[in-house]
Amino acid sequence: MANNGALQKAIEVLEKQLNQPLKTALEVCARCGICAESCHYYVSEPKIEHVPAYRAEQLRKIYRKKNNFLGKFFPRLVDAIDLDEKVFDKLVEMAFSECTLCRRCTFNCPLGVDTPLVMRTIRAMATATGKAPEILVMLADAAIAKGENPEIFKELFLQQISELEKELQEITGDPNAKIPVEKEGAKILYVALAGAHTIIPPAIIFNEVKEDWTLSLYEAANYGVFLGDVERAKKIAKRIIDEAKRLKVQEVVVAECGHACAALVWDAPNWFGESFPFRIRSIVELLAEYIQKGILKVEKIHTEPITYHDSCNLARTGGIFKEPRFILNSVAKDFRDMNPNGIENYCCGGGGGLVALPEYYEKRMRAGKAKSEQIKKTGAKIVAAACENCKLQLADLNNYYNLGVEVKGVVDLVAEAILNRKKSVTSVN
Amino acid sequence: MLLFSKILALISLLFFFGGILYHYFVTKRLKFPSDFARPKGSWKVGVLYSFTLGMMPWAKESTRRHWIAYLRGVAFHIGIFSGLFILVLSFFTEHFNEAVNLIFALIVGFGALMGFVGIVMRIFERNLREISTLDDFISVVLVSISLAFIALALIEPAFKMPMYFTSAIMLFYAPLGKIRHCLYFFFSRFFFGLHLGKRGIVHRFTEVSYGK
Repeated sequence: MANNGALQKAIEVLEKQLNQPLKTALEVCARCGICAESCHYYVSEPKIEHVPAYRAEQLRKIYRKKNNFLGKFFPRLVDAIDLDEKVFDKLVEMAFSECTLCRRCTFNCPLGVDTPLVMRTIRAMATATGKAPEILVMLADAAIAKGENPEIFKELFLQQISELEKELQEITGDPNAKIPVEKEGAKILYVALAGAHTIIPPAIIFNEVKEDWTLSLYEAANYGVFLGDVERAKKIAKRIIDEAKRLKVQEVVVAECGHACAALVWDAPNWFGESFPFRIRSIVELLAEYIQKGILKVEKIHTEPITYHDSCNLARTGGIFKEPRFILNSVAKDFRDMNPNGIENYCCGGGGGLVALPEYYEKRMRAGKAKSEQIKKTGAKIVAAACENCKLQLADLNNYYNLGVEVKGVVDLVAEAILNRKKSVTSVN
Repeated sequence: MLLFSKILALISLLFFFGGILYHYFVTKRLKFPSDFARPKGSWKVGVLYSFTLGMMPWAKESTRRHWIAYLRGVAFHIGIFSGLFILVLSFFTEHFNEAVNLIFALIVGFGALMGFVGIVMRIFERNLREISTLDDFISVVLVSISLAFIALALIEPAFKMPMYFTSAIMLFYAPLGKIRHCLYFFFSRFFFGLHLGKRGIVHRFTEVSYGK
């Protein structure tokens, strides 16, 4: 239960975050309601609570009470209200469970209202007052602790990488295949996620093209972003930024992870107030470049129909929607796009940190109905995605709606194409 | 009485512009977040797109799906800007050319009609009704009535007095209520354009090619 101090703190956070874009988002909505069907929650469950304009109105009511003439003196005219515990609890629940910050409403709004920015502000208010989901806070704090005491885990990490390197050599049949760590002066610092599945396939590709790379000690995921907590997010990103500076790399390449990529490419430079001396981009962009430049030669080995799910963070936030299609068309004989796709694609329902919150599993599955229907219509047997959270959600949707598909990463499909070619060469020899 | 209504409308018009300027400076005083990220495209292209092609009914799924409702809104707003233009001109000149009168009467009158249709939609469409505030109804009613009298006054000068009175009320209310979104529209589309442009999201205009 929030007390008056917490409510006061929440209002302070709102006032502190009030910059030009946020004020605009809180002022501009004409409540035309045209955004309703742009939200995957509304498409799956058409009710007023799922209309983006309605959701953002819940914070606007509080904002108007403090910042608007009519709100102060004639509150009933503009539905202005004071923030109380009940209202705040509803706001928090809504911001963390009924909006994945996918930006689809913004893209469909004639005024371009930035509703995700409003939702992120509510998340920041919740985090500052201790009302954010505990799991997200724990995950963020664990990542920060790892950055503060790298020596504790480093030895174990290096042992694990050594084992993975053996596995890599076995898979590729190349005894010289390496997974370099802490290699100063390497061209690329590759930042993976937790788990071998985001290390081995890129390692296959990097070794194939003889890339000068090194693996980051840290994972790319940044739960501070989901909390709307810039301080935490900055601390998590700092580990990687410092490592990249220390190793003097030319480029940081982020694993298949939508939010991590968006955070490092678009937000981190602003958190630190500097342009970094290295480029940061998604591994999907790098692979597209390899193939486009002829550095990596792949064949269309995948015969089953493949479709691609655009991660909201990669497409609508990062402008990455051509590259994955280029890659998939290079390795698949039957690539089929969903409708709509690209920047108009529906969110899978797992964004905004929802995949990490088991208490919202049912809501998440219901919100993914629109996506599952899109997948069904393609008739695809493989759904490719370039975001870890999307892949987790798609796998859950696959079970929940009996889609009968296999969910794979774009990088995995490219790595498979390389291994397939290696096998053919070996068998011919 | 006509002179009184005209002076009242003029005062309200000044109040309107003063109010909008006030909101502009209050907003501009706030922090504009610096962007240090390396661009993937041109922000200028994004902003240009945001205010032009990005506003076309075919540019968004929502407006493709609800193109009639969208065009209703567009017609309403064209009527508003035309009506405001006529109102300002009326302070300087008594008579316009007959053909000009008729053309503007049709544009502004149609805008008024679309405003009234908007009110009906707000009452009968469930989602719209639930997200609407009293301010929404007051704003659209005031603007629509004002536009109706501007259109009528273009045809029959006897309507000039009610035109000035209703416009005075509408212009006085505008900076206080929802109508001030006319200012924030420009901020919002600008920020949206920055996002689209800098991040290379405006597809047709930002080809990603790494070359040989």
